[in-house]
Amino acid sequence: MQENSKSHENSRLHDYTEDAKIGRGRFDLPFALLTLVLLVIGVVMVLSASFARAYYDPTHETGGNATYYFIRQLIFALMGVAAMYITSRFPMNFYRHFSMWVLIVAIGLLVLVPVIGVKANGARRWIGFGSFTIQPSEIAKIGVILAFSSMICRYREKMRTFRYGIAPFAIILVVIVGLLALEPHLSAAIIIVGVGAVMLFIGGVRLYWFVGVGVAVGGLGAIAISVMDYAKERVSNWLDPFSAASDAGYQIVQSLYAVGSGGLMGVGLGQSRQKYLYLPEEHNDFIFSIVCEELGFIGAALILILFALLIVRGYWLAMHMRDRYSSLVCAGITTLLALQVFLNVAVVTNLIPCTGISLPFFSYGGTALLIQMAEMGIILSASRDVPTK
Amino acid sequence: MSENQKNRKGGLHPNRMMLRRTLFLLVVCGIVAFIVLGIRLYKLQIIDHDLYEKEAINQQVRKTVVSANRGTIYDRNGKILAMSASADNVFISPAEIVMYGEDPVLIASGLSEILGVDYAEVLDKTKNTKSYYQTIAQRVEQEKADELRAFIAENKLNGIKLEPTSKRYYPYSSLASHVIGFVGNENTGLGGLESYYEDELSGVNGRIVRAKNSYGTDMLYTKYEEYYDAQDGCDLTTTIDSTIQFYMEKHLQQAVEDYDVQNGAAAIAMEVNTGEVLGMVSLGNFDLNNYQVLNADYQTLVDEAEDPAVKESLYNQLQQRQWRNKALSDTYEPGSTFKIITLAMALEEGVTNESEHFFCGGDILVTGDTDARKCWKAGGHGDQTLAQSLQHSCNVTFISLGVRIGAETFYKYAESFGFLKIPQSENAYPTATTGVDLGGESGSLWWTPSVFYRKDNLSQLAAASFGQTFNVTPLQLITAVSACVNGGYLMQPHLVKSITDDEGVVTRIEPTVIRQVISEETSKKVCEMLETVVSDPIEGTGKNAYVAGYRIGGKTGTSEKVAQIAAGGPNEYIVSFIGVAPMDDPQIAILVLLDTPSEETGVYISGGRMGAPTVGKMMADILPYMGIEAQYTEEELRTLDRSVPDFVGMTIEEAEKAAEEAGFTFRTIGYGATVTGQIPAKDAIVAAETQVVFYADSEPSEELEEIPNLTGLSYSIARQRLGYYGLFINTDSTSRIDAENMLVSGQSIEEGTEVEHGTVVTVTLVDKDSSMDGRY
Repeated sequence: MQENSKSHENSRLHDYTEDAKIGRGRFDLPFALLTLVLLVIGVVMVLSASFARAYYDPTHETGGNATYYFIRQLIFALMGVAAMYITSRFPMNFYRHFSMWVLIVAIGLLVLVPVIGVKANGARRWIGFGSFTIQPSEIAKIGVILAFSSMICRYREKMRTFRYGIAPFAIILVVIVGLLALEPHLSAAIIIVGVGAVMLFIGGVRLYWFVGVGVAVGGLGAIAISVMDYAKERVSNWLDPFSAASDAGYQIVQSLYAVGSGGLMGVGLGQSRQKYLYLPEEHNDFIFSIVCEELGFIGAALILILFALLIVRGYWLAMHMRDRYSSLVCAGITTLLALQVFLNVAVVTNLIPCTGISLPFFSYGGTALLIQMAEMGIILSASRDVPTK
Repeated sequence: MSENQKNRKGGLHPNRMMLRRTLFLLVVCGIVAFIVLGIRLYKLQIIDHDLYEKEAINQQVRKTVVSANRGTIYDRNGKILAMSASADNVFISPAEIVMYGEDPVLIASGLSEILGVDYAEVLDKTKNTKSYYQTIAQRVEQEKADELRAFIAENKLNGIKLEPTSKRYYPYSSLASHVIGFVGNENTGLGGLESYYEDELSGVNGRIVRAKNSYGTDMLYTKYEEYYDAQDGCDLTTTIDSTIQFYMEKHLQQAVEDYDVQNGAAAIAMEVNTGEVLGMVSLGNFDLNNYQVLNADYQTLVDEAEDPAVKESLYNQLQQRQWRNKALSDTYEPGSTFKIITLAMALEEGVTNESEHFFCGGDILVTGDTDARKCWKAGGHGDQTLAQSLQHSCNVTFISLGVRIGAETFYKYAESFGFLKIPQSENAYPTATTGVDLGGESGSLWWTPSVFYRKDNLSQLAAASFGQTFNVTPLQLITAVSACVNGGYLMQPHLVKSITDDEGVVTRIEPTVIRQVISEETSKKVCEMLETVVSDPIEGTGKNAYVAGYRIGGKTGTSEKVAQIAAGGPNEYIVSFIGVAPMDDPQIAILVLLDTPSEETGVYISGGRMGAPTVGKMMADILPYMGIEAQYTEEELRTLDRSVPDFVGMTIEEAEKAAEEAGFTFRTIGYGATVTGQIPAKDAIVAAETQVVFYADSEPSEELEEIPNLTGLSYSIARQRLGYYGLFINTDSTSRIDAENMLVSGQSIEEGTEVEHGTVVTVTLVDKDSSMDGRY
C-alpha cells in the first residue's frame, strides 16, 4: 500500500484527504468473504442453470457444449476476483480524483451506444470491444455513485438548496435517463435514478423533495399506465400472468412454476426441470428462479440472507467511514447492490412487473460481473480506512 | 432532521444526518426489503407449492398413451370375428434429424422401402425442421415395424420413431361386416358391435409419463418415468354363427346376382326360441380391414363419374350406403309376410278358426273406400279354408280378418308384437324399436290412432291387414314372426351372448321374454298353416322354399313402394320371404328381403319366385349344419336323387338286384359274369330311376359326348335325354322333383360342351306355372 500511495503522490491528491496518509489497514474480511461466497454459489448456479440451454443450443451459440456458459462465467469470475483485489488496493482519493471522469466516460459511451452499439432482443445496449461486450449503463451506475459522492462532498451544506442540491444532479440524471431511453433500457434508468436519489438522500437534500418527486413520479406512472398500451399490458401481465401464459406472460409464468415447484427443500442441485428450455433467460435474469426450484425455500432464503448480510455490512461500513466521500461511495454501491437484488428477486417472483434486471454475482454476463466485483473492491478499499479498535 | 453538527474538519467526516440516513437505508434495504422477499418466497414456495408444482409437472412431462388391448369379438362357436394385435405408429422428428445431423435422403428412402410410403412425401416432411412429430404411417404391423427397428439400429438413427399402438384385424374380412362394425383411427368403434359395445371393448388406456424438455424430447439425465398399466377391454361372444352367416351371405349374394337386385338386400336368421340373431346380412358387403374402400360395384360408379366434385360426393354417399345396415336401419312395408301376424291376431282373438271357409271373388269393398280392393289373383281364389287363404296369400280373406279384429285391437296386438307403441296422443305417429344391442336401429312408422281408428273409413286397417301402408324394420318383423311360431313369446332380439372381462369373469346375456303375445295353441295353428304355404306343391305361394327332407313353413311378401309410386316414382317392389324350420319344433326363422329386383331377368318379380327359393337354399345348407336331420316323406324317398352304390365285383344278378333296390334301372354291356366297371361312378348323386350301366369284361367308350340343351324339359325327360348319351342328371335339394310343374331352367354344364361318358349334369328346376304369378 505504500507503493500505491507513492505512485499517486502528487499535490492534488494531498488536497483531498489527509487520512490517506494516516495509513491504510486491512480490508473488511466479512464483506470480502460474503462477496466471495456469493460469487462461488453464483458461478455454480450458472453451471446448473445454463447446462440444458448450452447443450441444446437453440440459438446456435455454444455448439452443444454443455459447459460453454459456465466456463466463460468462471473465467470472468476469476478475473472479477482479481479486479476486486486491484480496486481494493487503490486509495479512495484516487477514486475521488477520477470521479467526474468516470461519469464523463460513461456518458460518452452512452452517446456512442445508438451509433456503434450492438443490438440484441430489440434494444441497443451493448458496445463491443473485440470479442466481448460491455453495457455502458453499468459504467454509468458506478459513475453516478462516484460523481455524486464527490459533488456532495464539495457542496456540503449547499445540498439543502435547489441550486446546488438538486439542479446539477437532476441535469446529470436527466441526461443519462434520456440516453438510456434511446436504447431503450428502462431497468437501468430505474436503478440509476434510484441510486442517484439515495445518494442525494444521504447527501442531505431536504426530505420534501423526495416526497414531491415521489408523488410526481407516481402520478406520471399512473398516467402512463392508463394511457400507454405498452405500460397497461405490462401491468396486466403482472397482475394476471396466467391469462397470457403462452405469450406475454410466458416468462413470468414459467418463472413462477420454477419458484413454486421448488417447495421447501427444492428438487435438488442440478435437478431443475424448468431449465429444460421452458424458462427463458434461465441463466441470466431469471437464474434466481432456478435457484428457488433446485434449492427450495431453504436454499433461496439462505442466499437472500447472505445478500442481506453483505448489504447490511456495506451500510455498516459506510457508517463507520471517517471520510465522507468514502462513506457516500460505500452507501451508494451498497444501495446499487441492494436495489439490483431486490428488483431482480421481486421480478422473478412477480412481486413487481417484469423488467430485465440481473442478479449480482449470479446472472451470466462477464463484463457486468467484472464491474460488480470491481465495485466490491472499491468498498473494500474504503474499508481499509475504517479505524480498527 | 436536525443536521446542525458540523464535522470538526470541515465536513470531511460523515455528519450525524448522513449516519442516520444511512442507518435508515440499512434497515430498509438490508432488512425490510429482504423480509418482503422472504414472505413472497414463502407464499410461492410453501403455500402455493402444490399448485405450481402440478402445473409445472403438467408441462414437463410427456404422457404416452398405452392403448388398452381392445376386446376380441367371437362368434357363438368361439371363432374370432375381430381381434387386436400390436402395431406401431411411425413418425419422424425432423428437428432431431437436423440436431443429430442425420441424412434425410437415407431416412426417406429407408421408410419408403420398408413401409411403402411415398419417398417424396417423406422427404418433404423432413423439411419441417422445427417439428418433432411428423406422422409417416399409422398402425404398422409388427413384421414391418421390426424391419424398421433393424434399419434404425443399423444406421443409428434418432430421427425415426415408433410408438406402440394396436391394430384391429377381421379374419373373415367382409363376413357380417355390418354386425361387427369397424374401428377408426382413434381405435374407437365406428359401427356395429364395435361401436355399440365400445365401452366394454375398449378397456382403459394406460400411460407412460416421462420428463421432457420444452421441445418434447426427453430431458437429459432426469430419469422421471411413471407407468400406469392399461386395463384390457372385454371380449364379446356374439350370437352370430359364422357358418350360418356365410351360407346366408352366399345365397343372398347369389340372389342379388340372379335377380339383378338394384337396391341392396338384407337377411336375418333368428333362433326363434331365444331371440338370438344367428346371422344378419346387408348387401353389399365391405371388407372390415379396409372399411373405407368401396366395394367393387360402388367403386365402378365412382370411377365412372367425371367431375371430381361429383366423384367426391358420390364416394362419400356410397361409403355411407355401404356401411348402412339394411336389416336394422331401413324400414319397409312388409307386405304379405305380415299376414302371419294378422292370422295370429285373428286366431288369438277367436274371430275365426281353422275350419272356417272364406270366399274370394277377386275383390272386396271396404268401408270408406270408393272402389273395391282387388285380390292379387284376377277372378279370385273362390272358396277356400283359412289355411288355403294363407297358402294363396289371399288379400280378400285377410282384409275381412282385419276388419273383424278391429283397428284398436289390431294396434294392441301390433304393440304386443313390438311393432309400435300406442302413443298418448291420438294424433302422434306410433313408432317403436326392438332395442337390439346394435346401433343404427330405425323406428317403425304407423298411422296415427286418430286416422287408424276411424269407424267410417277402414281403408288403413284393410291395408295394414296385408302389410301395407306402414313401415317396420326387417328385425321387427322376424322378431314378431318368431313369437308367432315359438309358442307365442316375444323374445328380446340380441347379438351378444356373453361378455368376458379381462379377469375372465363372464357375464351372460340370457334370453329374455318380453311378453307372451299369443297362446301356445294359436302358435301351433299358425305353424301348421305356415307349413302348408311351402308344402303344398300346387297352390302354396311359398312352395319354392321347399327343401327335401325338411318341414319348412313360411310366407311370401311382395310390397309395392306405395309412397314412391304415389309420388310419381317408378313402380318398384321389395320382395321378401320369411321361412321357419323345422315346423314340428321351430328352431330358426330366416327373413330375406330383396330391394328392387330387375324386370329384365325374366323371373316374375314376387316373394314366391325370388324370396322363397333364396330362403330355401339357405335352409338347405343351414338345417343340416344345425344338426337337424332330414326326414324324407315316402314321396321324397321315391323321387329324390340318390347315391350310386358300388356295383363292381358283384355278379350281374347281384348288381341288378342291388340297382333295383336302390331305385335305379340298369343295362349291361359285355358278356362277363361279374361287373368290372360302372357309370355313373360309385357315390355319384343322380336322379331316381336313372339307368345305371354295368360293364362286364368291357370298357366304357372313350368317345366324348356333347351336352344337349335341357332347358324347358321336365326332370324325367331330361334324365332320359342325357341317359341316351351315357350322361346323368341331378338337381339340388331345394328343387321339388315334380314332373308336372317343374321344368329345367338351367344346367351346370353348358350345351355343346364335350364330356366323358358318366358325367353328371346338375340342373335347376323352376315352377313354370304362370297361374301362380302374382304380387303376393
